[in-house]
Amino acid sequence: MEQKLTDLALIQNVLNGETAQYALLVKRHQRFVFTLALRFSKNREDAEEIAQDCFVKAYKALGTFKQTAKFSTWLYTITYTTAMTFLRKNRLDTASIHDESTSIQLENHTSGFNANGYEKQDSHAFLNLAITHLMPDDAAIITMFYKGEQSLEEIGEALHMEPNTIKVKLHRARQRLKEKLQYLLKDEVKELL
Amino acid sequence: MNTIEQQLWDYIDGNLDESAKKAIEEKIESDAEIKSQYEDLVKLNLSFESMDLDEPSLSFTRNVMESVALAPAPVAMKTQVDKKIIYSIGGFFVISLLALFGYVLYISNLSMPKFGFNVNLNFNVDQYITPTVLYSFLFFDLVIGLIFLDQFLRKKMHK
Repeated sequence: MEQKLTDLALIQNVLNGETAQYALLVKRHQRFVFTLALRFSKNREDAEEIAQDCFVKAYKALGTFKQTAKFSTWLYTITYTTAMTFLRKNRLDTASIHDESTSIQLENHTSGFNANGYEKQDSHAFLNLAITHLMPDDAAIITMFYKGEQSLEEIGEALHMEPNTIKVKLHRARQRLKEKLQYLLKDEVKELL
Repeated sequence: MNTIEQQLWDYIDGNLDESAKKAIEEKIESDAEIKSQYEDLVKLNLSFESMDLDEPSLSFTRNVMESVALAPAPVAMKTQVDKKIIYSIGGFFVISLLALFGYVLYISNLSMPKFGFNVNLNFNVDQYITPTVLYSFLFFDLVIGLIFLDQFLRKKMHK
C-alpha cells in the first residue's frame, strides 16, 4: 500500500513525524540519484558517497521543499550541487571524451570487444560505456532527459541553466553519443540499434 | 545551427509547433535520405530510452537512514513560521510607528525659522531640548530597538 503513495504524500508523512517513511523515498530515487552522481564522479565509491550525502541533505531541507514542483527535480538539483561541490573538493578527473587518455582507453575496449563479438543484450552495456565517456554535463542531461522523466525546463532548473541551453546541449550530447557508439561498434552500430 | 538533424530531433521530442511539424513531415515523406536519417534517429532514440540505471550497494538505503537518524526530524516551514503571528507583530509595529509619527507631527512646530548668520556662542543646552527633539530621539531609539528585536528573533528562529 505504501508503494502506491506519491512522493508528495510520503514527504507529508515524513514532515508529520513518520520519518521512517523517508526510506521509501530513498528506495524510489536511489538508482537515479546514484546514476546521476556516477555521471559526474565516474567512480562507484565516490558516486555512492555523493548520492548518500544528497539524500541526507534532502532530508534535512525537506521542510523547505516547495510542493509546487516535482520532488525529483528538487532532488536532482541537490544531486548536481552536491556532485559539483564534491568534484571541486576532491579535484577529480572529469576529462572529456576528447582527451587523449580517454581515447586510448576506448581503443583498448574496442579491440577487445571486436575480438569477442557481441550479443544483442550487450547493447545496454555499450550504451552505458559510451555515456561514461561523455562530458559530465552532457551525460547528466542525457540521463535526466531519458531516464529521469524531466522536461527541458526541469533539467534547466536542476542544472541552473536556461532551457534553450539544455536543448542545445542535449542535441550535442546525442550527437556525441552517436559518434561514440559508432566508434565503439564500427559498422555494427546499425545492427545494435 | 538549425540543421536537418536538429529539426528531426525536435520532431522526435515533440518540440515543434504545428507548421514546423508539418514542414518536417513533408521533408521526411519527399526525401529518401532524410527519411532514412529519421528512421536511424528514431532507433537511436529508442536505444537511449532503454539505457540502464546503475544500482548502488545493497546497504545504501540503510546507510542513508542511519545518517538521517542523527539529524533532527524535518518540520514543514509552514508550521515553523505561522504567518498570522508574523502579520500580527508586523501590524502592531506599523500602527505604533504611525501613531508615534503622527503624534510627533502634531506637537511639532513646522514653521520655518528665519535664516540668519548670527552665531550664538551661548551653549545653553536647555534651549535645544524641545519636545520635537525629544520625540525625534525616542523615534530613532525605537527604530534601533526594532532592528535589534528583528535580529534577535531571526537568531531565535534559526536555533
